Amino acid sequence: MVSDDSKPGDLTAAIQSVAPVDTRLQVIVRLHNKAARALHYVADVRAMRYDPTTRTLTLALSDEGREVIPGLAGKLPLFRHVDPGSEAEIHLSVPDKIVKLSRSAGSAGSAESGELAFETQQLADIREVVVEVAWADVPYYHDTRASALQDARLPAARWEQHKARATKRQDKKRAPRP
Amino acid sequence: MATFILQDATGIGSDDLDPAQGFIDMTIIANDTGLGMADPAAGKQRLVYTRTGNGPPRLRLDAMINTAFSPDYGSGANNVDTIVVAGLKSLVLDDGTPMANNGTALPPKSSGLPGASLNPTEQCLVIYDTQLTICVASAGSGGSLDLPVSPPVALYHEFSHAFRIVTNSLLALTGVCDPSSPEERAAIIDENDLRTDLASRQGVSATLRDPGNHCGKVESDCESCCIIATLVSRSPRSPQVQRLRCARDHFVRGTEVGHAFFDHFFRDYYAFSPQACTLMVGDQSLRHQLLEGFVEPLLDFWNMMVARGRRVMSSTQLGAAFIALHADRGHAELRHAALLRTSAFWESGVGQSTEAPAQLMALLREHAWPSPYMQWALVAPVRLMHTLLTRYLAGADAPAIGRAFTKALDAWAPEVPISTLWAALPAAQVRRELGFCERALLQTTKSKTRFRQRLGERFPDITALAGVLGRLQTMDKGDTW
Repeated sequence: MVSDDSKPGDLTAAIQSVAPVDTRLQVIVRLHNKAARALHYVADVRAMRYDPTTRTLTLALSDEGREVIPGLAGKLPLFRHVDPGSEAEIHLSVPDKIVKLSRSAGSAGSAESGELAFETQQLADIREVVVEVAWADVPYYHDTRASALQDARLPAARWEQHKARATKRQDKKRAPRP
Repeated sequence: MATFILQDATGIGSDDLDPAQGFIDMTIIANDTGLGMADPAAGKQRLVYTRTGNGPPRLRLDAMINTAFSPDYGSGANNVDTIVVAGLKSLVLDDGTPMANNGTALPPKSSGLPGASLNPTEQCLVIYDTQLTICVASAGSGGSLDLPVSPPVALYHEFSHAFRIVTNSLLALTGVCDPSSPEERAAIIDENDLRTDLASRQGVSATLRDPGNHCGKVESDCESCCIIATLVSRSPRSPQVQRLRCARDHFVRGTEVGHAFFDHFFRDYYAFSPQACTLMVGDQSLRHQLLEGFVEPLLDFWNMMVARGRRVMSSTQLGAAFIALHADRGHAELRHAALLRTSAFWESGVGQSTEAPAQLMALLREHAWPSPYMQWALVAPVRLMHTLLTRYLAGADAPAIGRAFTKALDAWAPEVPISTLWAALPAAQVRRELGFCERALLQTTKSKTRFRQRLGERFPDITALAGVLGRLQTMDKGDTW
């Protein structure tokens, strides 16, 4: 019956490859829809998180956890669907380094308190890549109810029902680029 | 001190930033020889401005550059400078948001304003990509994301946020982009000042951004919408599809019950429509048949329902509206023939020889026809239009068509699938939602009575509903909340 609830495991993800291309990392993710209906997913990177301690790069194809801040435009994710019983492939391209606003330079009491500084995290030696793909069994539509305006989440975070998660360990240290 | 452009900073390479472009964008905004930069100090260059012209962009720059702002966010007044971070494409905020193709203004960390937790400094940071390729909604376009944003416009938009941050007058901010939040609306109105100024310099009329819509997209993205209607009509922006989308988003889905209806509807509709599109892609004759024999009559029906929902129409007016849609008799006959073919196709797959229609039929039988939402919203309306067109072509006039139309609507409208949401609503909201349904959809006493009966039978022990329905019984039949 068409109204059966989807289950968290209906969409699975696997990282096919992680490869440096010029100054970027190309990540290929394969999705498999085990459900009897089309499933809709976010197909672009909405957030990048890097943990230098574990050298884990997380690519979130999801708006969950992102803050609502003043900005140029409310950019919705790129949505795609995968047919029932079918597979789909997402090709992601991210910079091979992440620059973050430095917390330590701006922390109270530090010698450089309040100064604007950055931290650059090179992704050339990542040990693990994690990709999280937000999905739902219906496409995204604007929520035009008045109550939506009171919701602190981004609209696509409200839409997503589940996440498909894939992990790939980078076993061999890659040779540095010439 | 007031406004700086970041030249260099600890933790990044000298070529990561693009301060030169930042200053060029600033001079484009000012269009005034009085704008310059002081000598660099501590990796920053202070903007200096002796204004020689008027107009909103120059007045705003003058205020931002020549005022020492000391807002009090609750713990006493403190100086807050604005620092422009231009072109740092690899910058990622603490919540993971990449700043490539993006722009923002982050309030000081202790301000408690939206975005403050992402800013480790006590300055206001204006961050923007100097090579962005974003499209936003132009005014009057109905939400089409077709208006490019140039880097100076992006910078000026963020300056608008920055101005309200340093004056502690930031407005309410929400994650919803359509409609814009008050804060984004204000920034877009300011942004339009610059668009007007730029156009005036070039002697052309300005294309403005819609202040009510803050949505945007990277230029290569495409829009989504009702995919079958789009596929067969070849355009997601055809006027009929646009009108229906507008009615759906701002008329029906604005109510709780309407939203719940579409939740179910989308769930069932998208259980088959993506595959249906795939099957139809290579079959031009099938697409043409479905356009004439299904999609067009369906869009006509729902456009009439939207018009009827906005003002009560007498049966004669309904008949006249139907006849006006079919004023070209030759086209009406072609439409009728297409409806007949589609009907035969739905029922038996007759008339098609390729493999795709057989697969399409199997798909529809399994996933579409069992859904009461598909039956009520898609199938029954087309049957109704088919019946009326048959009568019209047999010679029925407007009053006769109108009577038949009203009778058919009385049978169809109150059978709308009932969401379980009704059981969760408090009495006051039941009254509001029922009032909307009765004004927009049911309208006649017969329809209202039937729908109330179904509601009561569906939820016999829900006190809020029983109370409202009981109160209605003591009123005149057909009265609406």
